[in-house]
Amino acid sequence: MGPALLGAGLAVLALGPALGWGFVLRYDLVFVPDPPLLPDSGGFPRAVPSDLVAALLSRVLPGELVQKGLLVAIFVLAASGAAALVPPERRIGRLVAAVFYAWNVYLAQRLLLGQWALLLGVAGLPWAVRAVGAAGRERWLGRGHGWWRGGWRQWWRLVVALVPAAVGGFQAMLVTALTLAPIAVARRRAAVTGVTLGVLSLPWLVPALTSGAVTDPAGVDAFAARADGPFGVLGSLLSLGGVWNAEAGVPGQESWWLAAGRLALALTGLYGYARMRAEERPQWWGGLAVAAGAGFGVACLGAFAPGVLKWLIGAWAGFGPLRDGQAYLAPLVLVAAVGLGSLLRSGAPAVVGLLAPVLVLPTFAWGASGRLEAVAYPQEWRAVQRIVNADPAPGALLSLPWGAHRAFAWNGGRVTLDPAAKMFARRVVRDDTLLVGLPDGGRLRVRGEDPRNRLSPAGVRYVLVAGTENRFPFDRRGWTPVHQGRELTLWRR
Amino acid sequence: MLRILAALAIGALLAVGASVAVVNVASPAPTPPNQPLYNYGTR
Repeated sequence: MGPALLGAGLAVLALGPALGWGFVLRYDLVFVPDPPLLPDSGGFPRAVPSDLVAALLSRVLPGELVQKGLLVAIFVLAASGAAALVPPERRIGRLVAAVFYAWNVYLAQRLLLGQWALLLGVAGLPWAVRAVGAAGRERWLGRGHGWWRGGWRQWWRLVVALVPAAVGGFQAMLVTALTLAPIAVARRRAAVTGVTLGVLSLPWLVPALTSGAVTDPAGVDAFAARADGPFGVLGSLLSLGGVWNAEAGVPGQESWWLAAGRLALALTGLYGYARMRAEERPQWWGGLAVAAGAGFGVACLGAFAPGVLKWLIGAWAGFGPLRDGQAYLAPLVLVAAVGLGSLLRSGAPAVVGLLAPVLVLPTFAWGASGRLEAVAYPQEWRAVQRIVNADPAPGALLSLPWGAHRAFAWNGGRVTLDPAAKMFARRVVRDDTLLVGLPDGGRLRVRGEDPRNRLSPAGVRYVLVAGTENRFPFDRRGWTPVHQGRELTLWRR
Repeated sequence: MLRILAALAIGALLAVGASVAVVNVASPAPTPPNQPLYNYGTR
C-alpha cells in the first residue's frame, strides 16, 4: 500500500496543473469530450484499443476524469510494481525502487510526448515480470496440475498483469514482449507467455496486418535516439533518456549538473543489479538483464546503425515500430530501479536514494514546469462535434489546414495531434504526414501511414477548417457553412 | 559514520543543484505563438 500511495503522491507532484478540470492536450495525448466508440480510422492502429477503452470509460465518467485517472494510474502502477520486485523485508529499498521507476527521465519524456498508452504498458511491466518469473516449478496449464492448484492461477496473474499493456496497444505490447521473452524462455514458460501476449495483441495486430499501412524508412532518421544532454547519444541512453524529440525534453534537463546526476544514478542502479548476490537474485534476474541489454541494443540501432533499420523496414513495414527505439529502454529502467532498491536498503544512503530521482529531475514537477496543463475545449469545438455526430448521412469529414498537428493559443501553444481525428463518428480525412524539424532549420517529412488519406472531394460531406491563419483555399461552390466561429468553420454539402 | 557523511554530502549537493535548476526554469517564458500548423517536434 505504501508504494502505491507514494506513486499517487508522485503523480500529484508531476502532473500538478494537469490535474485541474479540463483536458491535457500535448502531442499524442489527445482526449476529447464524448469520444465516439468506433471512429472510422485507417492506417496503422496506433491508438487501438486505447482510444476505445477511453471512449468506453467516458460513457461512465466525464472524459476529463478518465484522462486524469489513466495518468495517475501510470504512476501508481509503476511505483507499486517496481516495489513488488524488491523483497518485502527491505521496506525502504522497495520505496527507492518505486520512486525511481515512477520518476525518471524516460517516463517524463514519453509523457511529454503524450504517449500515455505506452506508459500504461511500462507501468504494468514490473507486474508482468513478476507474473512470468514467479517462483515455482510447475508447468503452467500442464497436465497433472489441477487448475485450482497453481498453474492456472499463475497464468491468470499474468493475464491481469498484461491488461495495462493490452489496453495501451501496439507499442506497450511490443516493449512488454521484448521484456518478457527472455524471462519466459529461462522459466520454460515461453509458449504460454507467447500465446497470451499474442491473444491480447489481437485488437491491434489484426487491423495492423490488414490495414495496408505503409512505413516510410525516413522515419528512422526522424525518430532515432538523440543526445539530450552533454554526454552524447550513448550517455543520454545510459541516463535512460535520449528521446528523439527535443521538445519532449524536461525543461533544464540538459544542464551538465542534472545530466551527470541522472547518469550517476542510473549507473548506480545498474551496478546494484549486477552485484546482487546469487542467493538474492530472483528467478527473473537473468532474463530481465538480457531484456534490458536487448532493449538498449534496439535503442542504439537507429542512432548507430540506421542503414540496418532502414533495410529491415524496406523489406517489411512490420519493423516500423523499431524506428523509435528509445521506447525499448523500459526494461533497462526497471533493472536500474530494482538495482537501486537492492543497493540502497537502509540508513542515510537509502534516504538519499529516495530523494535522488526527484532531485536529479526536479523540473518534471508541476506538470514538467507547466508543459502539462489541463485546458477546456472552446465551446465551438463541442458545437461542431454535435452537428456532425447528429447527422445520419454518410460521408467523411475533411480536416484543414492540411497538417497532422496543431498549436492552439487556447492550449498555451502546446503542439497536439489534430483533435478532429478523434472527435467525430465518421471517417476523418487528414494529413498524417509527420514533419520533424531539424537542428539546421530544415524539415524532415515522414510519409503518412494511411493510404486512404488523399485529398479528394469524393465521399466528403463536411470540411472543418481550424484556425485564423493558414486558411486552406478550396472551391466552396456547393458547400454550405453550418458553423462559422472565431476559430472553426464547418462546411457541409 | 563515513557512509552517513557521504550520503549527507551527496544529498546536499543534489538539493543545491535541483534548486538552481528550478530557479533557472522558472524564469518567465515568452508568450507562445498561435500557429495552427506545427511540426511533430524538433530533433
